[in-house]
Amino acid sequence: MTPLERRSRLLLRAYPAWYRRERAGEMLDTLLEASPPGRSWPTLRDTRALVLGGLRVRGVAWCLSMLWAGLGAAGAGYDFILSTHVPEAAYIGLPSWVGEPTLIFLAGDLGAMAWLLLTVPVLVAGLVRLRRTDWTVSWPVAWVAGLVLAFPVADWQPSAPAVYACSKGQGCALTGYRYPVVSWGELAVFAGWLALGAAMTLILARPVRRRRLPDASRRSSQEAGGP
Amino acid sequence: MREPTYFVLASLLDGPLHGYAILRRTEELSGGRVRLATGTLYTALDRLTAEGYVELVREEIVNGRARRSYGLTSSGAGALRAEASRMAEVARLVTEPGRRVKMGGIARKTSPA
Repeated sequence: MTPLERRSRLLLRAYPAWYRRERAGEMLDTLLEASPPGRSWPTLRDTRALVLGGLRVRGVAWCLSMLWAGLGAAGAGYDFILSTHVPEAAYIGLPSWVGEPTLIFLAGDLGAMAWLLLTVPVLVAGLVRLRRTDWTVSWPVAWVAGLVLAFPVADWQPSAPAVYACSKGQGCALTGYRYPVVSWGELAVFAGWLALGAAMTLILARPVRRRRLPDASRRSSQEAGGP
Repeated sequence: MREPTYFVLASLLDGPLHGYAILRRTEELSGGRVRLATGTLYTALDRLTAEGYVELVREEIVNGRARRSYGLTSSGAGALRAEASRMAEVARLVTEPGRRVKMGGIARKTSPA
């Protein structure tokens, strides 16, 4: 197998397995034939077209769900990093750490907002996609699992040990808390989001019912060809 | 009908072709303007098959792999001809100024957005 063929095969994984079983060999041939001789990487154009084509075949429900699960995992990762820094007072409920770059803070906010806005469309798109299949029930179950994964975060933040200053005769006074306190629980939430994303991929890894691929056995008897 | 779709259908006018041959032929027919990427071609073929414009007509084994050839269906040929005459009509509005006065409303109805 040439490097180009190996990389092209990898790119074809943008398409779901059921589609690849049907089409991958043929598409690989076309890709290899269309590539200029001597190339060892697929062209940028081909790469983009394959990724977009794969997303199109996987469908809206898949794209939204992966975005949702990806944002969830990123959020858990953010919370973990947050717990390794000295926290700053939360601004309208959005936590940050002392000296956090504005860009990261803004990206975190936008991500959190996008995650919230996506919750309902993800549920609806999945239900529409899986309606009247054996998988209808599994979808809300996965969705609820996602919501549940979002909420233990705050509870798992361990409280920082208090720091006291003591002086003779006057006893001890609280002077602050010892930060940072690493919250390892966030890593479990992060793993949970990745697992949820994988589960959603598996549930959605079925062909959409309306889909029809070219099939030699269904071809009509009339002669194909132009006028 | 978008231009790449038009050229993909037109490339099958002389008979069924396989994937790479369709890429070559569309590029040739369009004077090098329409250069489809492999992913785009198969997205188009999926859609055209679902619409009943294109069908799989032959499957042969070349170098141990399946090579599939696609052909125009009669409804695909019909849609292509309808699009060609629509474009010819739209073109005449410019190439034959005299018609513009006579045909009046056609310009509004068929002008592409």
